[in-house]
Amino acid sequence: MALESLDRSPPPFFRVGFAPLTKLIFFSALSLLLVFGDKQMQFTKPLRAGLSTLVLPVQWLVLQPGEALSALGKYFQNLDQALQNLKSAELKVLQQSVRSQQVEQLQIENQNLRQLMALQASVPVTSQAAEVLFDVPDPYNQRIVIDRGQLKNVALGSPVIDAGGVIGQVTRVYPLTSEVTLLTDKDQSIPVLNSRTGARNITNGDVLAGLPVIELKFVPASADVKEGDLLTTSGIDGVYPAGLQVARISHIERRVDISFARIHATPLAELKGRHVLVLQPTSANMSTKGKTP
Amino acid sequence: MIMDRREALLLPVSPWFIASSLLMALLLSMLLGLSQALWLPDVLAVCIFFWGIHQPRRVGMATAFVLGLWMDVQHSSLLGQHALSYVVLSYFAFSLHRRLLWFPIKEQMIQIAPFFILAEALGLIIRLSTGDDFPGWPMLLSPFIETLLWPVANVILLAPQRRAHDPDANRPI
Repeated sequence: MALESLDRSPPPFFRVGFAPLTKLIFFSALSLLLVFGDKQMQFTKPLRAGLSTLVLPVQWLVLQPGEALSALGKYFQNLDQALQNLKSAELKVLQQSVRSQQVEQLQIENQNLRQLMALQASVPVTSQAAEVLFDVPDPYNQRIVIDRGQLKNVALGSPVIDAGGVIGQVTRVYPLTSEVTLLTDKDQSIPVLNSRTGARNITNGDVLAGLPVIELKFVPASADVKEGDLLTTSGIDGVYPAGLQVARISHIERRVDISFARIHATPLAELKGRHVLVLQPTSANMSTKGKTP
Repeated sequence: MIMDRREALLLPVSPWFIASSLLMALLLSMLLGLSQALWLPDVLAVCIFFWGIHQPRRVGMATAFVLGLWMDVQHSSLLGQHALSYVVLSYFAFSLHRRLLWFPIKEQMIQIAPFFILAEALGLIIRLSTGDDFPGWPMLLSPFIETLLWPVANVILLAPQRRAHDPDANRPI
């Protein structure tokens, strides 16, 4: 009998591989490295993009029961309600058509004035419609996932709006989807213009009485701000085009012991519909414009 | 008597059942994650811990790490956050697995609760240390609900091993 035919390895009962503590230290170190890399160095970007493409079909599968339910609900929706919706939509179109005619006229006027003053013409914004897939499950931040990604030329930092106003900004782009951080996220800021007074401010996401709102930063306690003031994008950041509606001031607190007023505003974005518009960042528009002869 | 003798004989486990149960737990926790309720339990953590106790040679830290990465990408949280808590859970499951099954289910639950709390706390510590805010008190409920899921997991995940091997009128087991 040849010696090779003897099985010299230990029986599987004793073969346990590395010691559990070694494995624990190895995998914990790897996890902590990934956490650090994800937070500070951004070297995990390709890994996350690859994995997210892998996760996407499963996510789609998980979303289907909910979609089917809502589709069923819509199917059995009352006819009355449908007619009512139609009526309100028609009314809205009428109101908007009045406004859009004014806008046409104002635009021509504005163009003439700009030509008179030899100012740079405002850049037309290119946009594409996208569908909201789901809210990101992570409870620490407020983001949504939309169904347009790198393959549809969504750029990092693109502003995202809906029928009401600005929703937020694209903060992660994957090949097929992208993540939008809402204005009410605490790490998200947007430069705004108070359309009544013309004062420029910067805002941050905040939570007031359990509701996500935005907070105006560094406004002196004596500043002219009233409840109900409309905040629009100021357009000086090179990201958001000027004049998009952002929020309405809903809560002002002036206290003697702080030199700044605490001002909160409620976002105007409806965030109910499933469709949003992804705009190109204005600086990207200008740079492409500059490149073409 | 600490040991429940009726539990002593189980059929051998099928690797396909382990894999499919982990997959189902993954899908279920993805589905629960969409509702954004903080108190909802992490079903996948329970499943990983369960198999870590019952089949420590089949479901170990490597599996836990890969599943954790998957959850991180799906939750869009920090990459490595779920991976770390699942790996730690899996390690403690390994260190408990020789002892825990000698106790009845209620006493098992008392012993495993601290590890679910630890796993939840690890995720929280990582997020707080990277500058996030505390998301809310309901999240403290989730490890306790995970502990309450332990008997349920015992019924569901051991069901194929408890089934009658070769049923017969004279020999029910």
